[in-house]
Amino acid sequence: MQQQETIIQVNKIFKTYRLGEVHVPALKNVSLTIHKGDFLIITGRNGSGKSTLLRQLGLLDKPDSGEILLKNKDVTKMPERERASIRLKRLGYIFQEYALIAELSAVENVMLPAMMLESSASCRKRAIEVLKKVGLEYKIKNLPRQLSGGEQQKVAIARALINHPEVIFADEPTANLDSIAAKDVLKVFKRLNEHDQSTIVMITHEEEETAYGHRIIKLADGSLV
Amino acid sequence: MKAEYKIPFILSWKHLLRSNKWTLSLIIFFMSIAFINMIFVPSLFNGIVDGFNKQIITTTTGNILITPRDGKDFISDSSETINRIESTDGVTAASAQMLVPGTLKFDGKKGSWSIYAINPDQEKKVTTVSEKIIDGEYLDPSDETGILLGNDITSTETTNEGDNPFSLKGASVGDTVAVIFGNTEYEFTIRGIFKTKFNTADQRGFITQEALKKMNPGYVDEATSISVTINLEGDEENVMQSLKDRGVRENIYSWQQASSLMSSVSDSFLSINVILSIFGVLIAAITVFIVIYIDISSRRQEIGILRAIGIRPYLIRAMYIILSAVYSVAGVLLGTVLFFAIIVPYFNAHPFVLPIADAKLLVNPGDFIARLETLIWVAIAAGLVPAVTITRTKLLDAIWGSK
Ligand SMILES: Nc1ncnc2c1ncn2[C@@H]1O[C@H](COP(=O)(O)OP(=O)(O)OP(=O)(O)O)[C@@H](O)[C@H]1O
Ligand SMILES: [Mg+2]
Repeated sequence: MQQQETIIQVNKIFKTYRLGEVHVPALKNVSLTIHKGDFLIITGRNGSGKSTLLRQLGLLDKPDSGEILLKNKDVTKMPERERASIRLKRLGYIFQEYALIAELSAVENVMLPAMMLESSASCRKRAIEVLKKVGLEYKIKNLPRQLSGGEQQKVAIARALINHPEVIFADEPTANLDSIAAKDVLKVFKRLNEHDQSTIVMITHEEEETAYGHRIIKLADGSLV
Repeated sequence: MKAEYKIPFILSWKHLLRSNKWTLSLIIFFMSIAFINMIFVPSLFNGIVDGFNKQIITTTTGNILITPRDGKDFISDSSETINRIESTDGVTAASAQMLVPGTLKFDGKKGSWSIYAINPDQEKKVTTVSEKIIDGEYLDPSDETGILLGNDITSTETTNEGDNPFSLKGASVGDTVAVIFGNTEYEFTIRGIFKTKFNTADQRGFITQEALKKMNPGYVDEATSISVTINLEGDEENVMQSLKDRGVRENIYSWQQASSLMSSVSDSFLSINVILSIFGVLIAAITVFIVIYIDISSRRQEIGILRAIGIRPYLIRAMYIILSAVYSVAGVLLGTVLFFAIIVPYFNAHPFVLPIADAKLLVNPGDFIARLETLIWVAIAAGLVPAVTITRTKLLDAIWGSK
C-alpha cells in the first residue's frame, strides 16, 4: 500500500453543548485520520454530530477534550489569533448556505481572504483564475443576489480555494441546490480532488453523493460507526 | 504592501454604495438633526446674550463709558475731553451726558426719574435712542423747552417689574410736564417718546444742554458720563489703553464693567447651555448606536463568516468606525448646510422677540468646531460598542446566531 501523508489526526475528541441545564453530547470519543489527497465523506442522520465534527476540524469551535493535530501540531490549545491565521492560510470552509458578503461582487468575495496576505492587484488576478477553475469566469462582477444558488456556492468554493488550503471542508454544500446544480458543484469538488490533489472533507445527507468520495465515515449519536 | 488595510475601506465603501439609499439618507438626516440640536441651543443663547449686550451698548453705555475721576462729581470741560476722545484711534464717536436729578410731574402724578442733558447731535452718533422714537420726534439741539421721555416713564401698561407708582401714566407727545429741579418747577413739552425695550434706557428722559443752561446758568460744559463707541467690536481693551495714552484722566470702563448686570445672565445661560449640550451629545450618541447596532444585528452572520475565513476582528471594527465616521461627517455637513442656509436666515428675518431685546442666532466658531468634533468622536465611540461586542462573541454564535 502506498505511503500516505497524514494532514489531520483526530484523537478522542468530545464535545458537549450546554444550554443552561440541558447538556447535549454531540461528539463522543471520535478519532480519525485524514490523509493528503483524501476525499472524505461524512454521513449520518440529522443531529448525529456531523456539523459539530466538521467545525472542530475547521477550527470554528474547540472540543471539550481530545486533540486535533494539524501536521502534528495540536490546534486545540492555540489562541484564537493563531487559529484565525490557520483558517485563513491553511483551511477552506464552505457553508451550506453559501455565506457570501451580499454587497461584494463575486470576485470581491473571492479576493477577500487573499487580501489579508498579498497586494490587491495580485489578489484580483488570482481570484479570477480561481473563479475560472470553478467555471464562473463570465460572472465575476455579479453580486450574490444576481447569481443562482449553484453559482453562489461555486463562488464560496472559489473563496475557500484562494489561499491554497491544505484541506477543504464543506458542510452539505448542495443541500440548498436542485439536483442539476448539485451535480455541477459536486463535479467541481471531484475535479479539484483529482486534478489538484486537493484534500476534501464533505458532509452529505444524500446517499448518491457518497459515491464521490474515496472514503466514507458514518456518525450516529456522536460516535463513529 | 498587503491589501489587508484596504479591507475595511472596501467593505464600508461597498456597504454605503449598495445599501438602501433611503435608509442611508434617513441615517444622515438623523445625524444632521442631532448636530443641529447641538448647535441650535448654544447659538440661541449666544444670540440672546449678544442681543442683551448690544442693547446695553447701543442704548446706554456705548462700548466704553467714561466717568469722573475719583473724588470729582463731574467731568469738567467735557467738550475738550470729547475732542480728545474722538481723535483717538479706534473711536467712532463720543457723547457727554449730564445727569439732572429731578422729579417729573404730570397731571397730579409725580415721580423721580433720571433726566440727562445731552447734545442730541452727538448722542445720535453713540446711541440708538434717536432711532427708537415711537411717537413724536427726536430733540433738536437748540430746543430749550423740549423733553424726550422713555416709554417706561409714560407707559400706561404694567411693565414686567409691576405697576410703577411713579409712572406719568398717559402723558403723550405735546403734553406739558414739569421738571422739579432744586425748588423750582420748569415746564417742558414732550417732543417724543422712545422705546428701546431695554428697561434701563426706557426709564430715562433727555433734554438738551441748552435747556439745562437755561435752568442753571452755572452749568458750563460739565458731564457726569461720556459714552464712547468704537470701530471694532471687542476691541474695547485696546481703545481704553489708547484713551489713557491720549491723556484722558477720567475713569474709563468697558461696557461690561459699567454694567455688571449682564455677566450673571450669561453665567446662568452657560449652565443651562452645558446641560442642553449634554442632551444633544447623548441624542447623537444614541442615534449612532442604534443605527450601527441595527446594522450589525442584521449582519451578524456575515460578520461571523468574515471571522470564520480569517479576517482579523480589528478590520471588522475598523469598518464600523469608518461607517460611523461617514454617517457623522455627512450628518455634520448636512446639518451645517441646513443650519446656515435655512435656520439662521429664518431667525434673522424673524428674531425671537424677548422682553428686553430681540435675539437672533449667533454661532461662536470655537463652540461650533468643538461640537462638531464632539459629535464625530461620540458617533465613532457609539458605533464601536456594538462592533466590539460582535467581534468578541463566540464564533459559532456569530455565525449560527444563538444569542
Ligand atoms: N450551537 C449549538 N448549541 C446547542 N446544541 C447544538 C448546537 N449545534 C448543534 N447542537 C446539537 O448537537 C447535536 C449535533 O448537531 P449537529 O449539528 O452536529 O448535527 P448534524 O449531524 O450536523 O445534523 P444535520 O444533519 O441536521 O445538519 C444535535 O443534537 C444538535 O441539536
Ligand atoms: Mg449539520
